[in-house]
Amino acid sequence: MSVETLKLCGILILLAPLIGAILAGALGRPVLRGNTHWIVIAGVAVAFALSVVVFGVVRGAADGAHAVQIPLYDWFTSGSGWFKVEFLIDPLTSIMLLTVTGVSLLVIIYSRDYMREHDKPVRGYERFFAFLGLFVFSMCALVLGGNFLLLYLGWEAVGLCSYLLIGFYYDRPSAAAAAKKAFLVNRVGDFGFGLGILLIYLTFGTLEYQAVFDMVQGGVLASGEPIATGRITTIALLLLCGACGKSAQLPLHVWLPDAMEGPSPVSALIHAATMVTAGVYMVARCGAIFTASPIAMTVVAVIGACTALFAATIALTQTDLKRILAYSTISQLGYMFLGLGVYAADSAVFHLFTHAFFKALLFLCAGSVMHAMGGIIDARYFGGLRKLLPWTFRFFVIGSLALAGFPFLSGFFSKDEIIHHAFEAHWLFGLVGLATAVLTAFYTARMVCLAFFGPERVPEGVHAHESGKWMLAPLGVLSIGAIFAGYLGVEMFGQGFHNFLGPVFHDTFGVHYSVVSAPGAAHAVAAAAHTGFLANYGLMILSGGLAIVAIAAAYFMYVLQPWIPGTIASAVPRLHRLFSNKYYIDEAYDAAVVRPLRMTGRVSVGLDNYFLDGLVWLATAIPRGLAFVLRGLQGGLIQGYAVSMIIGIIILALVVFFAER
Amino acid sequence: MSSWILTLLIFSPLAGALLLLLPRRGEDLLLAKAALVSGFVTFALSLVALVLFFGAGGGAGSSAYVLNAHVPWVSDNGANIGYRVGVDGISIWLLLLTTFLTPLAIWSSFTSIRTRIREYYILLLLLEVGMLGVFCAKDLLLFYVSFEFTLVPLYFLIGIWGGPERRRAANKFFIYTLAGSVLTFAGVVYLAFTAYSATGSLTLEIDELVRLGQSGAIGSSAQWWLFLAFAAGFAIKVPLFPVHTWLPLAHTEAPTAASVMLAGVLLKLGTYGFCRLSIPILPEASFALAPVVAVLSIIGIMYAALAAWVQTDIKKLVAYSSVSHLGFCMLGLFSLKLAGVSGAVLYMVNHGLSTGALFLIVGFIYERYHTRDINAFGGLARKMPWMATFLVFFTLSSIGLPGLNGFVSEFLVLLGTATSAGTTDGIAAGPLGYGYVIPAAMGIILGAVYMLWMCRCVLFGPLKEPPNTPDTSTGLTQDLTRRELAILAPIALVCIWLGVYPKPLLNTIEPAIVQNILCATDRPVHAFEGNGRANQLVTTPVAPAGHVARAGMLATVPSNVKPAGTSADSRPVDPEPRASARAVFPISTEPRASARAMPQRSILLHKFHDYPSRRIQPARTRDRGPRSRPSVTSRGLKPAARRRITVARYTRQGSSDALDQRNVFPNTNEPLHSTEANADAR
Repeated sequence: MSVETLKLCGILILLAPLIGAILAGALGRPVLRGNTHWIVIAGVAVAFALSVVVFGVVRGAADGAHAVQIPLYDWFTSGSGWFKVEFLIDPLTSIMLLTVTGVSLLVIIYSRDYMREHDKPVRGYERFFAFLGLFVFSMCALVLGGNFLLLYLGWEAVGLCSYLLIGFYYDRPSAAAAAKKAFLVNRVGDFGFGLGILLIYLTFGTLEYQAVFDMVQGGVLASGEPIATGRITTIALLLLCGACGKSAQLPLHVWLPDAMEGPSPVSALIHAATMVTAGVYMVARCGAIFTASPIAMTVVAVIGACTALFAATIALTQTDLKRILAYSTISQLGYMFLGLGVYAADSAVFHLFTHAFFKALLFLCAGSVMHAMGGIIDARYFGGLRKLLPWTFRFFVIGSLALAGFPFLSGFFSKDEIIHHAFEAHWLFGLVGLATAVLTAFYTARMVCLAFFGPERVPEGVHAHESGKWMLAPLGVLSIGAIFAGYLGVEMFGQGFHNFLGPVFHDTFGVHYSVVSAPGAAHAVAAAAHTGFLANYGLMILSGGLAIVAIAAAYFMYVLQPWIPGTIASAVPRLHRLFSNKYYIDEAYDAAVVRPLRMTGRVSVGLDNYFLDGLVWLATAIPRGLAFVLRGLQGGLIQGYAVSMIIGIIILALVVFFAER
Repeated sequence: MSSWILTLLIFSPLAGALLLLLPRRGEDLLLAKAALVSGFVTFALSLVALVLFFGAGGGAGSSAYVLNAHVPWVSDNGANIGYRVGVDGISIWLLLLTTFLTPLAIWSSFTSIRTRIREYYILLLLLEVGMLGVFCAKDLLLFYVSFEFTLVPLYFLIGIWGGPERRRAANKFFIYTLAGSVLTFAGVVYLAFTAYSATGSLTLEIDELVRLGQSGAIGSSAQWWLFLAFAAGFAIKVPLFPVHTWLPLAHTEAPTAASVMLAGVLLKLGTYGFCRLSIPILPEASFALAPVVAVLSIIGIMYAALAAWVQTDIKKLVAYSSVSHLGFCMLGLFSLKLAGVSGAVLYMVNHGLSTGALFLIVGFIYERYHTRDINAFGGLARKMPWMATFLVFFTLSSIGLPGLNGFVSEFLVLLGTATSAGTTDGIAAGPLGYGYVIPAAMGIILGAVYMLWMCRCVLFGPLKEPPNTPDTSTGLTQDLTRRELAILAPIALVCIWLGVYPKPLLNTIEPAIVQNILCATDRPVHAFEGNGRANQLVTTPVAPAGHVARAGMLATVPSNVKPAGTSADSRPVDPEPRASARAVFPISTEPRASARAMPQRSILLHKFHDYPSRRIQPARTRDRGPRSRPSVTSRGLKPAARRRITVARYTRQGSSDALDQRNVFPNTNEPLHSTEANADAR
């Protein structure tokens, strides 16, 4: 690999969006105004082009040199510790870079029209694009970073961008609250994440990926001492804590649905396609650490499976399109974690890749609906939009089918792989995966039916109109991805995706892959060649069939016989309430964490004002009391002084007298 | 070598203050501008000092005090008290922080201060004199005098220009802190006495006292008492948990500029005192009491964070956040590890910047709305976008977002605390450990909670303003004026710089800490200058040599050794074979103290002086080839070899210095320098 090329590309990938963002922020308001998007689009386009170059370089590299560590400069030192700014570039990095910059580019192009009302930029247009540019920079930094500290930097920085963009409509109290919630819940995750990083440093004496992973895989520290498994497990679980926060896994998922208060492009980019997958990326990256601890792997799988099922059940009852999509995102991220937990990291990353297309597509379509409905996205207020928004409808259906796992669309392949591996690990995981797939298909179809089928309804006073070409063009590109991205990983077509990623995960997750010896002569070695046709394709047929059945059921229930859902809901009122109130988790957190802490805060202030200050007052009371007593002696009465003088003389005389004797 | 720059720097605000007496009554703007110019001149001088500091070798690599100046005050009868100033890698940055913040604080007062303008600016400038004095002082007396002197201007600043409860606040602040510092003064006197009885000379030079403390001449119980006495003054100033109650009131009532100086610099006098005096002079007590201090710091972190969360006064919220943040600073200091202490020093600078800026912004809001009640505001981002931008920026800096200044120091503090436990080999156990990190890290979450809560209440949501809408009568605009932007922008730039590239600071801070605070004289030579692997590899062969010398010295001197006379009434030289080593090793003239101190000392030094081995380690982990480590350590050497080195050192040193009173303590730097010279030659 030509390291210099990669280094230059890496630097420029970071700088281009950053410069775009800075220029947009600095020049946007006074100079560029409605044209601010150009500068950010240019920056991100450069980053995307360079990501392609990086991909090419990495792909062209000989096998074995699949990862390069590129130091840039010393960030800060601490005695013996050197904390560098450095890159780690390997296939995983390049896939992530492509996904991030590609989707970002499309979303930013889409935003050009979305952030306008009646062809006039909305308030804060420049701010929006500046933040988006900053986000692309941060996310690329997260992905490119070659040590845990840079990972943490990117981690926090994307969190910041998320905070700023969720709160973009800051004069809405709900948006402001959601932004704060997102940041704080992530902070809770980062608490564990930070502790994990410190523990890594404490254990290994370095934070460099390669060094740490080498030691973990070797099983011995640099000093030659063996590494305790317990320590590795602790580290892995602490890191997982951060991943749960960022990727909205149980129990830290609460911020993501609220994050839908942000503009739709933000939801598409940050809260579906890229930032929330950072947790998946991190676990995949730290595969050496996680796979060294079977306990941690089990925890990852269990959290993933639970989250997938749990979020899918909530999505069944929501009516806000974006919230349904948010829960669906949580659920799909759960799939990815499940994949990681069952040692199918390549499948997890594959799902991450396909999910980025169809989920971004869905969110952008939802944005298009919202744009047309005058800012309303709750499906109770509109319906039957397929005639009014024909293109949006088509794209939305494509995205939905991909999400639902409809056969031969991208989501079908990637999800199926994970379920397949889940069954290999434990039937329970597989079953949960399958059940979730059914639910996914059902709620996705329900969402489409609610919004686009049935009688045509629009909110009062809204003149519905199809979106312009700036918005539709990115949708088109994404829908192509949503249809065809899956074929990159299909055995029949050479499994290029997996073979490309394989070397990264081979040593850790034990992923099989085949070496691409020469371009164009890819021999496909089946990932699970030892299993037969039925094991391979039976599951595929089963899950595809179930998806079709679930879609049909949803169509039947919500379009043909719309009375059924209400009847079911009233038949099991408790369950329905539990689902639609999201298992009361927000309320539980409020009661268990927020209120007690605020109470403690009040008690602290009370302690300050009364107890501690009281002690201080007591301390001052001693001299005050002394003064009170002694003041009596200084009353100013001559007689008093005379008496005390006489007494004094007598005492002195006595002392002298007795001393003489 | 004598240098004029620091003296000029310290007294230039005083000159400015005197100049302010000249203009006639009524020339308010002229007065204010003159004060501002004076502040900037001082800042310029401090930049000159910085350049000279680097020029004098105070930059990377060297740790000694530079730009020294000395005027004796009391020098008869063996007394050695004087006006001694000098800066090392730690104080130079605090100096710059002070001179950087003062003109900005002055500038921020242009519209807010309408009465007694002349007195106000004179007091601000005098305050600067005091603070600069503390950071430049190399003599304990000068340190103490400057330390106390800062109280006076601040007392008046709060008492005259403060809020409605200003008198109570000023009195409370003054008496509270004075009560503490009186005890500190008792400590100073006692320390002087101890030093006198140990050396026969009445010296208050901090360097000498450090050498004394490190040599073990101060007995164990004396150390404890001294530590408590010093802590009484410093802990109140910091403020450490149970004695912080003066701070919220003082901050709320103080005028903006005073708040900025109070939070930005004055609180650091406390941590600086701990760092400069308690830890190096009283190593044993610091080590023993570190867990107590750490626990108090952690309680303070959590407690103040929670208290901040329920405040309705923005300024009080920021004040409590200061208490919480300074807890981190103290935690880092008392990890007694390089990472922790350098993080703490960096924390002082960073906290000064971000909290100072937050107080400035709160002041700007207050000037416009005449209230600081969080509930009175809402959605100000719409009306004051620039203010909102800066408030969010400094909030992020304050809660330690990576890439901004707060993060690096926070990380280093936590790192130091975590590695203090020292489970990895080669690192002796320190006083703290990973267990301390967990609650402290929870404090970081809480830090985000209250700051973001405040931002959300004030900046976001629907617009809500107090009834008497923005007061623009004093020439203010609705959003920040250019002057206000010009005040905040430089601070923001520095925050970014320190977040992205803090290395220049750390490069100078670290050697100073190693040598002047933690007093490990045996560090590898180039470790601080180099960047990257290569240098580390080069230094490794050199490193153990220094280590051997130092550790050998300690190991060979028996604990029951009778100290040789060093002053006029020197006793006859002991005719033992090892006399040459002992004759010039004047640990103490008080046999009792030395006998008691020595055994503990050997343990202690082992704990304190783990730098070389720590420093070598990464080199091992980095070159992943043959996993070898330098095998020569003090413990690895044979006793005879160890002794030989030691003896050689003392005879050489003793022959030249024996009669010099000020060098009765082995100048531990000297052999090191020779090693360095050798290494350079190589």
